[in-house]
Amino acid sequence: MVRTHSAAAGMSRRDLLIAAGMALAAGRVAAAPAARVAVARCPDYSTGVLPALRKMFDGLGGIERLVAGKSVAIKINMANPLRARTGHRPAWNTRWSHPAVIAAAVSLIGGAGARRIRILEGSCEDDNPLEENVLQGGWDPQYLLGAATNVEMENTDSLGRGKRYQRLKVPGGGLIYPSFDCNHSYVDCDVMVSIAKLKEHPSAGVALSMNNMIGIAPATIYGDAAGFEEPAQRPFGRRGMFHTGRRQPSSIVPAETNPDSPRDAGYRIPRVTTDLVAARPIDLAIIDGIETQTSAEGAAPAAGARRRIHLVTPGILVAGFNPVCTDAVAAALMGFDPGATRGTAPFEHCDSTLELAEQAGIGTRDLKQIEVVGVPIRQLQFAFRRYR
Amino acid sequence: MLALLKGTPITCLAGSAPPPFPIGDMPFITLNPDHPPDGVMLREGAWPRVLPAKEEDTALAGVTGGPWVDSNAAVIRLAQTKEPGKQVWLTYSPPGPQDIVPVEEYVRPIAEAEAYGARWVIALDGPFAQGLSSKSERALGVWRQMMSVLRLFERRREWRAWQPVAALAVVSSFQGGTGLIAEEFLNLAPRRHLAHRIVLASDAAAASFAPQKAILYLEAAPPEGDARSALLRFAENGGSVFAPRGIIQAKPVEIRQEHAIHAHGRGRVITPLDTWEDPFALARQVHLLLSIREDVVQVWNGGDMNSHYLSSPDGRRAVVHLVHYASGHTQPVTIGLRTPYGSARMTTAASTTTVKATAGGLGIEIPVGEFSSYAAIELDV
Repeated sequence: MVRTHSAAAGMSRRDLLIAAGMALAAGRVAAAPAARVAVARCPDYSTGVLPALRKMFDGLGGIERLVAGKSVAIKINMANPLRARTGHRPAWNTRWSHPAVIAAAVSLIGGAGARRIRILEGSCEDDNPLEENVLQGGWDPQYLLGAATNVEMENTDSLGRGKRYQRLKVPGGGLIYPSFDCNHSYVDCDVMVSIAKLKEHPSAGVALSMNNMIGIAPATIYGDAAGFEEPAQRPFGRRGMFHTGRRQPSSIVPAETNPDSPRDAGYRIPRVTTDLVAARPIDLAIIDGIETQTSAEGAAPAAGARRRIHLVTPGILVAGFNPVCTDAVAAALMGFDPGATRGTAPFEHCDSTLELAEQAGIGTRDLKQIEVVGVPIRQLQFAFRRYR
Repeated sequence: MLALLKGTPITCLAGSAPPPFPIGDMPFITLNPDHPPDGVMLREGAWPRVLPAKEEDTALAGVTGGPWVDSNAAVIRLAQTKEPGKQVWLTYSPPGPQDIVPVEEYVRPIAEAEAYGARWVIALDGPFAQGLSSKSERALGVWRQMMSVLRLFERRREWRAWQPVAALAVVSSFQGGTGLIAEEFLNLAPRRHLAHRIVLASDAAAASFAPQKAILYLEAAPPEGDARSALLRFAENGGSVFAPRGIIQAKPVEIRQEHAIHAHGRGRVITPLDTWEDPFALARQVHLLLSIREDVVQVWNGGDMNSHYLSSPDGRRAVVHLVHYASGHTQPVTIGLRTPYGSARMTTAASTTTVKATAGGLGIEIPVGEFSSYAAIELDV
């Protein structure tokens, strides 16, 4: 059973989401919760990251209640391909969560009394141990494993160390998928942390803490080379079905609810993301906007993209207990209106994950309801779209 | 045509029979596989490239889903190991009319052969030869690049005596039941940038493995006698030895990557749970059990590329050969090295430039940049 932290006494976030899903099913839109979001200036990945993040956690009210004595899963962002770089810049500085931010989070979570910390990421290229993939990225995994005691890593795009896949049901039945079968680590944890990069995305507008959760769906089941009946033994190929819907996952898991729904990535990706975040709620969202890139989430511009990729240094860190609120503040920091809907930047070609997640009752995107602690948004705003 | 050879590093003509026209002072060497020239091993080369499929806009895939790459690296290195005193010449009939090779592709086979210490016997197809005869700027431009690569290797003859920098030694007789797997392992390891040196099984007892972190003894049966002692001594001193089951009788401490890991002295003896049959899986398993941490060179944005890292005997100079098997230019390539070299230069068929190394997460990183077919990164401590 997934137990997650929530500000609402006596109810886990999963309980809240189930209630929200039931409300949606009954035709009512549940009020989405609001939560505080911390914003900090952090000019580079040197020694300033840890104190900045500590201050942010303090600003949120502390993380001890969330993690003390708990098993914590941290989903980092190391999207494939592992050996692709934007120019010569390491992917950590352009499209992946940087090890300095991950290590700082691990250190603080460990210091707050976490019983076990498991760093997680999939790779649809292989089922290498995650440590080996970190090495492929050009970093020493020991830097992360040694940031606290009882730190582990696991590549979650396959069974990993688990004996079988674990099913995560989407409360209310889901917008695209009713449930997901995932690596055991996403169920075998008390607290879920998403550490994402502050970046744009061609099929989601922005790729922040919620979009990071796309990577929890294993490529053995949801990848282009997934088995049609049983999951593939090893992952291979990106999660094309999430974008195009051209095929269904391995038949051991429930297929999508409505195969007649649009096959457009701009429709599907925000909904699949919302389903995943509803199925596996995020308890702590951290967004690394210290260094990043504009325009694309990958190492090359998306097909047909009109904008070039620029390497930029916004010098921003964002954190919060609610992923919708946190992503909304992050989107505002990127110069976007988090209340925007399809057709308006950054959602010119897609639906808004923020809107869908708000409608699903996960959290509000209304900045008026979100208390921002630390540096005010207007002081750190970094307009991504000024880079063409 | 002969005029084109003046002042180039090409010093002879070769073929199955002399050409039907006067060749002046240029010596002619008959290439007969049964009676190769003195000091030369003749091997049939493959046109090094990502193999195109019959359908447009596709590439032929290997069993792994990755593109199929034809390379001569393993053939050359194995031949050199078997007959170290001889030079490998690769022969290749000019591509036929059904197999159109853009003239720009002619740089790669020369560069690949030279990078691995061999010679490519240049044979031009009809359109290229015609282009040169008619003084086509495109054909002449490629010809100049081909000669530029040959001149680079003439200037750097010392590279031929330099040794591979590698954490892994592959030890095999390359014969019998595991011969094919062993040869294919040599083909597939470079796809992973898994640097290795090659040692014949008959030399295992006397060989020094001091620079290596691991030995893969790729035979059907475990080593015996002095070879076994040498390998176990290597493990006792902290190395990892991959060998068939039976090399030691001990309980494994761990099962990983379909191998049993046995503690032995300060090192490990690693045996397969089943017999080695799949060279692709074996290359992957050995790489992971050794760990990417031990990679002597890492390549980013490399695509379908081989790296071949050689060091001077005193270790103060080195070269990393990068052979790009796909057509066109690479992405901006970066390489990572554990050794903190002080200076680096990149030489391609077109130019030489100084490149500045920066600190990376695992050593130094060198922004090589974009190139087509081939680049040499020369390094000085």
